[in-house]
Amino acid sequence: MARAIFQPRDLAALALIVASGLMVFGVATRPHPLSATDIPVHTANLKNGKTLYIAGGCISCHAPGPDLKDVSADVPAGGKALKTPIGTLYPPNLTPDPETGLGNWTATDFINAMQKGISPSGEHLIPAFPYTSYAHMKIGDVLDIKAYLETLPPVKNPAKPHDIVLASLMRRGLGLWKYIGFDETPWIADPAKSERWNRGSYLVNGPGHCNECHTPRTIFMTSDNSKKFLGGPHPEGKGTVPSLRSLIERGRYKDEADLVSAFQNGEELGYTRMSSGGMGDVQGNLSKLPDADVKAIAEYVTSLK
Amino acid sequence: MSKVFIGMAGALMALTLGAGLAMAGGDDSITARKACMKANGAGMGVMVPMIKGEKPYDAAAVKTALETMGKACSAWDTFWPDDSMTSTTQKTHASDAIWKDKAGFAAAGMAYYTAEQALSKTTDEAGFKAAFPALGAACGGCHKAFRTAME
Repeated sequence: MARAIFQPRDLAALALIVASGLMVFGVATRPHPLSATDIPVHTANLKNGKTLYIAGGCISCHAPGPDLKDVSADVPAGGKALKTPIGTLYPPNLTPDPETGLGNWTATDFINAMQKGISPSGEHLIPAFPYTSYAHMKIGDVLDIKAYLETLPPVKNPAKPHDIVLASLMRRGLGLWKYIGFDETPWIADPAKSERWNRGSYLVNGPGHCNECHTPRTIFMTSDNSKKFLGGPHPEGKGTVPSLRSLIERGRYKDEADLVSAFQNGEELGYTRMSSGGMGDVQGNLSKLPDADVKAIAEYVTSLK
Repeated sequence: MSKVFIGMAGALMALTLGAGLAMAGGDDSITARKACMKANGAGMGVMVPMIKGEKPYDAAAVKTALETMGKACSAWDTFWPDDSMTSTTQKTHASDAIWKDKAGFAAAGMAYYTAEQALSKTTDEAGFKAAFPALGAACGGCHKAFRTAME
């Protein structure tokens, strides 16, 4: 008689594998938020908060939805649809409205969201919100952004649920994704480089989150840091994101000053590569940054070879 | 005999014409609109250095640039048939938003046309410099919403 495909012994082994798999999944995917004692005492700098809010491009995703006709387009009341490969997301309200915005958020809540990717209720946040970059920021800078957001007019606009499949399983699965691909190390200055270069490096790699689109992703959708800033397929679907390396050598920009002009003027001065694939919004934000910061970003970016 | 010949020749002509018409579909539209964009790029290459002060203002050169751009793009309304959204033979950065939001795309095209007309009416450097950013912004407005990211 032929051997049955599964002996009882095999089934027991299989059950053990599945059970231990679930346990590993359960442990690896559990969120690990910070507690209040982890947050330093900080005196807010609103000007710095506003600069980093702009550098972070918060408004580009948290723009008011089409139903908020009375809300100014530069108030991050949320609700505008964001189409991604996993479904349509509705980025939430960042204004200080206590019920539907961040009005009741503590500093700990804000740091956990921005730097750990964990919501106040303890859920993993979807990394379309680039906490993967914000995690590298100085904690004081993140608190300054919170302080700046508190100065904005409160808007009542409850967050619409995201339109994605298997949302709750995916949320938990994100823990696994974070386990393999979430680099939480703080940004470190390079003492061999100028202060301005370092400022640029910080803005690009921290708040600016340029990496999220300009670095290709692995099959696990984590940033492929062996190809940092080399560009690749657009994360939202169509088109190709350009490489940020050797921009001058490749003839894309004449020199650092030319890139500064491109950041500040975009296509108004004929810089045709500053519009598509979301870069138009980024350029709009860059044009609102202080001159010194735009120059710092250009110095850093043109140094990438 | 001659009737048969005429009939055959007619059939052949009809076939050739049919094939020609079929070829004038999506792919030719992509070729035509790329030529238009290329001409626009070349025209910008003439005007932008004047805006940046790298070259002196040259009214005649501006006029020629705008005319060349206008000519290359004169058939604009025929550049976007439904079968030109994608192509197996050519690369296109046209976003599917063009066909999903036809009204928005038409408005973006009109913004460009208006800005181009305004710029072509300028006769001195001050007027040129004042009118140019609107044209650039119209290019950008359309590229932002209706062109996909390109390397």
